[in-house]
Amino acid sequence: MINIALRQLGAKKLRTLLTIAGFGVCVNLYIVVTTVMRFITDDLDFQVKRFAGLLLVQSRSEVGMTGIEWPPISSSIPAVEAARVMSLPGVRSEASSPVTFAALAPPPFPTAPPEALLIGIEAGKETAFLGDAPALLGSNRLQGNGRSSAAMDADAGESRPVVLGILAARHFAPSATEMVEVPSPVGPIPLAAVGSTIDIRGHKFQVQGIVEPETNQLLRSCVVVRLSQANTLLGRGDTVNAVLITPQRTSDIDTIQTMVEREFADLMVINDKALAENAGQLLHRITQLFNVVRGTAVAVAALLITIVMFVSVLERTKEIGTLRAIGAPARSVFAMVVAESLLIATFGALMGVPLSRNVIERALGPDAAGIRSPRIEVSAVALLTSFGLVAALLPVARAVRVDPIVALRYE
Amino acid sequence: MSDEARPSVNSLAPSLLSARRLTRVFRLGQNEIEAVRDVDLDIDEGDFVAIVGPSGSGKSTLLYLLGLIDSPSAGEVRIRGERASHLGRERRAGLRLRWLGFVFQTFNLLQLLTARQNVEIALRLAGVSKKERQQRAESLLQAVGLGQRMRHRPVQLSGGERQRVAIARALANEPDILLADEPTGNLDTQTGGEIVGLLEQLNQAGQTIVMVTHNMAIAGRAKRILHMRDGRLSESAPPD
Repeated sequence: MINIALRQLGAKKLRTLLTIAGFGVCVNLYIVVTTVMRFITDDLDFQVKRFAGLLLVQSRSEVGMTGIEWPPISSSIPAVEAARVMSLPGVRSEASSPVTFAALAPPPFPTAPPEALLIGIEAGKETAFLGDAPALLGSNRLQGNGRSSAAMDADAGESRPVVLGILAARHFAPSATEMVEVPSPVGPIPLAAVGSTIDIRGHKFQVQGIVEPETNQLLRSCVVVRLSQANTLLGRGDTVNAVLITPQRTSDIDTIQTMVEREFADLMVINDKALAENAGQLLHRITQLFNVVRGTAVAVAALLITIVMFVSVLERTKEIGTLRAIGAPARSVFAMVVAESLLIATFGALMGVPLSRNVIERALGPDAAGIRSPRIEVSAVALLTSFGLVAALLPVARAVRVDPIVALRYE
Repeated sequence: MSDEARPSVNSLAPSLLSARRLTRVFRLGQNEIEAVRDVDLDIDEGDFVAIVGPSGSGKSTLLYLLGLIDSPSAGEVRIRGERASHLGRERRAGLRLRWLGFVFQTFNLLQLLTARQNVEIALRLAGVSKKERQQRAESLLQAVGLGQRMRHRPVQLSGGERQRVAIARALANEPDILLADEPTGNLDTQTGGEIVGLLEQLNQAGQTIVMVTHNMAIAGRAKRILHMRDGRLSESAPPD
């Protein structure tokens, strides 16, 4: 019966190819959406973990869609107020800093951080934002380690160092004075070379190093420069977006939060719990949306199989009737139609998996290799193929019910 | 059907195929059409029976009832004395596969398969091994004169050749009875004559055949001729 099913598919080449392509696109869509979902979940999780134990002070008036805007690009705090926050008891000043954020390039997909995110931070305090993100090339610090931050900021007129996340380094590669290629599972990635000069909004900056944290998109897309230089190139004057605070002790977290909220009516403090809650709300909305897309992909794949197999059974009423007349049992007819559906679903899945890999690589570039999951691919293929087979039951039932008498008189 | 024309109804050995009070009524809206009325019939081993009658007389309906493709409204069909017409669809399909062979007016070959594969399909349904079914399909096609056309698809064959493939398919599982519905209906006179000649050869070799036709010349080559008119059956004297 598989032989007959194969021949039937071969006889209607165009229809078969279009159906397989349609099924493949659904498999592709399901895999891509599931992969992006997992990617976003992991990333938000890492961001929350990265900021565990830290506090972010930002203006109260500006909030994002889901309650907290992260990073707080639209928040604004006068530098004087930021300095007062920094001087509060319990703040570990050497690991805390006012920060400025600005998107230099749009996000690669909705909900992701900008592909290049400018972070102005006091020199020597980069770790307050970067944490222990390892340097892929060069240094993970702005130059002048060991000097006071005030002295280093005073050097702003002399040099403009920048540390780039790997995604930002790729973003600036085409305009950098020197480029380097680093190997990756998806092929060599061009990056702005360490020591090269890049242009950020008309200002030249020298690349000190490229950091490559395991998964955190925010860190991978960072463009870390000195706070004063960031404010100059953004024309900010004496304001910053937020103050990133590392408490001296864990027990200081509540104290600092209480003091900020008591003394600064226009400021709010965000801790990792609030970030986690915010991330949870965001994830819930994203998951709902993505589940609608995934459900649509499954429904379209199933509908495709139902329609095509129904037409196929209708066209072959006489053939099926003849088989029944010469003695074919219902199970043989069942096997024939199911085999045909299974072949379409299998070939569609075989097309959909490589297609999804290609789409993910194009959308996420160097991140693709890390987030592609054979488990997602296998489960998508299994799920859609199962639904395809269930969808074939209606035409199968019709085929099995074909009355040989009617079929023999059918022209 | 007259009593003297009714063969071996009361004989001790059961007929190969028999029908008793066989009736088939079709309902079309408020109307009832009695396509087959109260037919008694016995077919013995080695018979070559032609059922003749005008279009709409019920001869094809009778053939489908005898072949267990259709179910009677009343009466019964027995194969070797065993009541078969009351069985469920799948049991009847199983009986058709092993006991009966069918030849249709429009050949009803699977267009995507070659001549050999069309013959093999009946063997495959009966669970015959690949090697055996290939050998048997080739041997049957040789026997019906299509040794050189085994790898041709139905569209590449003439009408007569297609009907020969259909006959080979019908014989694949060595049926007790070959049922042919207007086997020459779509063929020219010469080709039709050749096909009946082939059926005669098969009958001479022992194959029991029941053939429906409206062509008296073709029917005249059978051993028995049954006349169907308005759903009723009568038998004429055997041809000399």
